[in-house]
Amino acid sequence: MSELPKPIEEHVQHTLPRKLLHDLRTPLSHILGYSELLIEEMQESGNVEFIPHVEKIRKAGRELVAMMTENFSSK
Amino acid sequence: MHRILLVEDNEMNRDMLSRRLQKRGYEVLIAVDGQLGVEMAQAESPDLILMDMSLPVMDGWEATRSLKAAPETSSIPVIALTAHAMSTDRERALEAGCDDYDTKPIELPRLLGKIEALIGGNRPVRVENNS
Repeated sequence: MSELPKPIEEHVQHTLPRKLLHDLRTPLSHILGYSELLIEEMQESGNVEFIPHVEKIRKAGRELVAMMTENFSSK
Repeated sequence: MHRILLVEDNEMNRDMLSRRLQKRGYEVLIAVDGQLGVEMAQAESPDLILMDMSLPVMDGWEATRSLKAAPETSSIPVIALTAHAMSTDRERALEAGCDDYDTKPIELPRLLGKIEALIGGNRPVRVENNS
Protein backbone atom coordinates (compact mmCIF):
# COMPACT_ATOMS: atom_id res chain seq x y z
CA MET A 1 0.00 0.00 0.00
CA SER A 2 1.34 3.39 -0.97
CA GLU A 3 2.09 5.98 1.67
CA LEU A 4 -0.42 8.75 2.30
CA PRO A 5 0.47 12.23 1.08
CA LYS A 6 2.08 14.22 3.90
CA PRO A 7 -0.82 16.68 4.46
CA ILE A 8 -3.31 13.80 4.72
CA GLU A 9 -1.05 11.84 7.04
CA GLU A 10 -0.67 14.93 9.22
CA HIS A 11 -4.44 15.38 9.27
CA VAL A 12 -5.13 11.75 10.19
CA GLN A 13 -2.43 11.58 12.86
CA HIS A 14 -2.83 14.97 14.51
CA THR A 15 -5.82 17.07 13.47
CA LEU A 16 -8.47 14.33 13.62
CA PRO A 17 -7.54 13.07 17.11
CA ARG A 18 -7.39 16.65 18.38
CA LYS A 19 -10.81 17.48 16.95
CA LEU A 20 -12.28 14.21 18.19
CA LEU A 21 -10.89 14.82 21.67
CA HIS A 22 -12.44 18.29 21.76
CA ASP A 23 -15.80 17.18 20.35
CA LEU A 24 -16.13 14.26 22.76
CA ARG A 25 -15.31 16.37 25.78
CA THR A 26 -18.39 18.59 25.40
CA PRO A 27 -21.09 15.86 25.72
CA LEU A 28 -18.93 14.12 28.32
CA SER A 29 -18.95 17.35 30.30
CA HIS A 30 -22.73 17.25 30.30
CA ILE A 31 -22.88 13.58 31.35
CA LEU A 32 -20.40 14.07 34.18
CA GLY A 33 -21.60 17.48 35.32
CA TYR A 34 -25.25 16.53 35.51
CA SER A 35 -24.58 13.16 37.12
CA GLU A 36 -22.48 14.90 39.81
CA LEU A 37 -25.17 17.57 40.24
CA LEU A 38 -27.83 14.87 40.58
CA ILE A 39 -25.79 13.06 43.22
CA GLU A 40 -25.38 16.31 45.18
CA GLU A 41 -29.10 17.08 44.99
CA MET A 42 -30.12 13.56 45.98
CA GLN A 43 -27.74 13.75 48.97
CA GLU A 44 -29.21 17.09 50.01
CA SER A 45 -32.81 15.88 49.73
CA GLY A 46 -32.09 12.58 51.47
CA ASN A 47 -33.38 10.72 48.41
CA VAL A 48 -30.40 8.38 48.25
CA GLU A 49 -32.01 5.34 46.61
CA PHE A 50 -30.79 6.10 43.08
CA ILE A 51 -27.37 7.49 43.97
CA PRO A 52 -25.55 4.18 43.27
CA HIS A 53 -27.04 4.12 39.74
CA VAL A 54 -26.05 7.70 38.96
CA GLU A 55 -22.64 6.98 40.45
CA LYS A 56 -22.19 4.25 37.82
CA ILE A 57 -22.91 6.78 35.04
CA ARG A 58 -20.42 9.20 36.57
CA LYS A 59 -17.77 6.50 36.94
CA ALA A 60 -18.21 5.35 33.32
CA GLY A 61 -17.87 8.94 32.15
CA ARG A 62 -14.66 9.42 34.10
CA GLU A 63 -13.28 6.20 32.61
CA LEU A 64 -14.00 7.54 29.11
CA VAL A 65 -12.19 10.78 29.91
CA ALA A 66 -9.21 8.81 31.22
CA MET A 67 -9.13 6.68 28.06
CA MET A 68 -9.28 9.76 25.84
CA THR A 69 -6.54 11.48 27.77
CA GLU A 70 -4.33 8.40 27.66
CA ASN A 71 -4.82 7.83 23.92
CA PHE A 72 -4.87 11.36 22.56
CA SER A 73 -3.03 13.70 24.89
CA SER A 74 0.38 13.10 23.34
CA LYS A 75 -0.87 13.42 19.76
CA MET B 1 -20.36 36.68 48.85
CA HIS B 2 -17.85 36.37 46.02
CA ARG B 3 -19.11 37.07 42.52
CA ILE B 4 -17.97 34.97 39.58
CA LEU B 5 -18.61 35.89 35.96
CA LEU B 6 -19.11 32.75 33.87
CA VAL B 7 -18.56 33.39 30.15
CA GLU B 8 -19.90 30.30 28.39
CA ASP B 9 -21.94 29.84 25.23
CA ASN B 10 -23.07 26.27 25.87
CA GLU B 11 -26.40 26.33 27.70
CA MET B 12 -25.95 23.03 29.54
CA ASN B 13 -22.45 23.93 30.71
CA ARG B 14 -23.77 27.30 31.95
CA ASP B 15 -26.69 25.73 33.80
CA MET B 16 -24.65 22.93 35.36
CA LEU B 17 -21.65 24.98 36.47
CA SER B 18 -23.62 28.00 37.69
CA ARG B 19 -25.87 25.78 39.84
CA ARG B 20 -22.92 23.96 41.36
CA LEU B 21 -21.10 27.21 42.14
CA GLN B 22 -24.23 28.78 43.63
CA LYS B 23 -24.60 25.77 45.92
CA ARG B 24 -21.15 26.61 47.28
CA GLY B 25 -22.07 30.18 48.08
CA TYR B 26 -20.89 32.03 44.99
CA GLU B 27 -23.01 34.57 43.15
CA VAL B 28 -22.76 33.73 39.45
CA LEU B 29 -23.13 36.26 36.64
CA ILE B 30 -23.57 34.92 33.12
CA ALA B 31 -22.39 36.10 29.72
CA VAL B 32 -22.97 34.04 26.58
CA ASP B 33 -20.18 35.36 24.34
CA GLY B 34 -16.81 37.04 24.66
CA GLN B 35 -18.02 40.53 23.82
CA LEU B 36 -20.77 40.38 26.42
CA GLY B 37 -18.25 38.94 28.87
CA VAL B 38 -15.98 41.96 28.46
CA GLU B 39 -18.90 44.37 28.80
CA MET B 40 -20.24 42.62 31.88
CA ALA B 41 -16.80 42.51 33.52
CA GLN B 42 -16.47 46.27 33.01
CA ALA B 43 -19.95 46.94 34.38
CA GLU B 44 -20.02 44.48 37.28
CA SER B 45 -16.37 44.10 38.39
CA PRO B 46 -16.68 40.43 39.41
CA ASP B 47 -14.14 38.86 41.77
CA LEU B 48 -13.16 36.27 39.16
CA ILE B 49 -13.97 35.28 35.58
CA LEU B 50 -14.39 31.73 34.26
CA MET B 51 -13.76 32.08 30.54
CA ASP B 52 -14.66 29.46 27.98
CA MET B 53 -12.22 29.95 25.11
CA SER B 54 -14.29 28.80 22.12
CA LEU B 55 -16.90 31.54 22.12
CA PRO B 56 -18.97 33.26 19.43
CA VAL B 57 -18.66 36.96 18.51
CA MET B 58 -15.34 37.35 20.38
CA ASP B 59 -13.39 34.27 21.44
CA GLY B 60 -12.00 33.78 24.93
CA TRP B 61 -8.42 34.58 23.97
CA GLU B 62 -9.36 37.95 22.50
CA ALA B 63 -11.76 38.71 25.36
CA THR B 64 -9.03 37.96 27.92
CA ARG B 65 -6.50 40.12 26.10
CA SER B 66 -9.06 42.94 26.05
CA LEU B 67 -9.79 42.54 29.79
CA LYS B 68 -6.12 42.47 30.74
CA ALA B 69 -5.38 45.55 28.59
CA ALA B 70 -8.03 47.68 30.30
CA PRO B 71 -7.02 49.23 33.66
CA GLU B 72 -10.47 48.71 35.20
CA THR B 73 -10.50 44.94 34.52
CA SER B 74 -6.82 44.00 34.35
CA SER B 75 -6.65 42.83 37.97
CA ILE B 76 -9.67 40.49 37.75
CA PRO B 77 -8.36 36.89 37.75
CA VAL B 78 -9.36 34.88 34.68
CA ILE B 79 -9.47 31.08 34.59
CA ALA B 80 -9.62 29.66 31.07
CA LEU B 81 -11.98 26.73 30.57
CA THR B 82 -11.59 24.69 27.44
CA ALA B 83 -12.39 21.33 25.95
CA HIS B 84 -8.97 21.42 24.30
CA ALA B 85 -6.55 19.56 26.55
CA MET B 86 -3.17 19.80 24.85
CA SER B 87 -0.24 21.43 26.62
CA THR B 88 -0.12 24.05 23.85
CA ASP B 89 -3.69 25.07 24.70
CA ARG B 90 -2.63 25.84 28.26
CA GLU B 91 0.32 27.90 27.05
CA ARG B 92 -1.91 29.77 24.61
CA ALA B 93 -4.40 30.65 27.35
CA LEU B 94 -1.66 31.86 29.70
CA GLU B 95 -0.09 33.91 26.90
CA ALA B 96 -3.44 35.65 26.37
CA GLY B 97 -3.29 36.73 30.01
CA CYS B 98 -5.31 34.04 31.76
CA ASP B 99 -4.22 33.50 35.38
CA ASP B 100 -5.00 29.80 35.33
CA TYR B 101 -6.42 27.12 33.09
CA ASP B 102 -8.70 24.13 33.47
CA THR B 103 -10.06 21.54 31.09
CA LYS B 104 -13.53 20.20 30.46
CA PRO B 105 -15.03 18.01 31.72
CA ILE B 106 -14.71 20.09 34.87
CA GLU B 107 -13.52 18.34 38.01
CA LEU B 108 -15.24 20.61 40.49
CA PRO B 109 -12.94 20.13 43.51
CA ARG B 110 -9.94 20.95 41.28
CA LEU B 111 -11.64 24.03 39.81
CA LEU B 112 -12.78 25.20 43.27
CA GLY B 113 -9.18 24.93 44.45
CA LYS B 114 -8.06 27.19 41.61
CA ILE B 115 -10.87 29.67 42.26
CA GLU B 116 -10.08 29.82 45.97
CA ALA B 117 -6.35 30.21 45.28
CA LEU B 118 -7.03 33.25 43.09
CA ILE B 119 -9.79 34.89 45.11
CA GLY B 120 -8.19 34.03 48.44
CA GLY B 121 -9.65 33.66 51.93
CA ASN B 122 -13.33 33.70 52.88
CA ARG B 123 -13.89 30.14 51.82
CA PRO B 124 -17.53 29.64 50.78
CA VAL B 125 -19.87 26.99 52.15
CA ARG B 126 -18.88 23.51 50.99
CA VAL B 127 -21.31 20.90 49.74
CA GLU B 128 -20.31 17.27 50.03
CA ASN B 129 -19.08 16.01 46.68
CA ASN B 130 -18.37 12.50 45.50
CA SER B 131 -16.24 13.42 42.50
